[in-house]
Amino acid sequence: MASLSTTSLSFKAPSIQSTRISQVLRKASSFQSISFGRFHSSKSLRLQISCAAKPETVQKVSDIVKEQLALSADTALTAESKFSALGADSLDTVEIVMALEEKFNISVEESDAQNITTIQEAADLIEDLVQKKPATSEAS
Amino acid sequence: MGATKLSGMQKQVLSLYRGFLRAARSKTTEDRRRIEMIVSTEFHKNSKEVDRKNFQYIEYLLRLGTKQLDQLKNPDMVSISSIKVVTSKT
Repeated sequence: MASLSTTSLSFKAPSIQSTRISQVLRKASSFQSISFGRFHSSKSLRLQISCAAKPETVQKVSDIVKEQLALSADTALTAESKFSALGADSLDTVEIVMALEEKFNISVEESDAQNITTIQEAADLIEDLVQKKPATSEAS
Repeated sequence: MGATKLSGMQKQVLSLYRGFLRAARSKTTEDRRRIEMIVSTEFHKNSKEVDRKNFQYIEYLLRLGTKQLDQLKNPDMVSISSIKVVTSKT
């Protein structure tokens, strides 16, 4: 934008024109901000779609997390609840993942297990693995 | 976001912990409960007590744990225990 205004000066454009240019520039910048906003919302929308684990799975995961961390039954857990915020350290997280493995009869890769920090992430990974499982058992 | 990167050593510890919990699954329910209790207590205790910069000691504990895990994987092995020798600083 700075280079554009310099060009208008070298052309010795009348003041009216320069204001017009600046107006255009302003319009352009405001348009940019609008498109930015749109981009953000579409991004979050896409994220929501890809993260849509079934509510039952999220509920099952929350129950196991509660059990593992010895939280009272009325503790409010949301899908975005972070394990660390619930007082879990990395060892507790390992325990949670192991309990989830048993419950859903799946096997979580170590590298994946270490990336799980929220109930939502756990639920997504589980759905992913449950879906993949029939294919792998057929192949073996 | 928010997830702190784990060091190689921390990963080793977590991997060992996972190994223990996996090995415990092959035991009877009662033994399993007990093994899980011991292992969990031991790991949590060390995570609080051991200085995270004391790499030599952590490496020693990792070696010790790996050895104990190998023994625990033996189907005849039913439980583990650890004795801590406390030396006073006087």
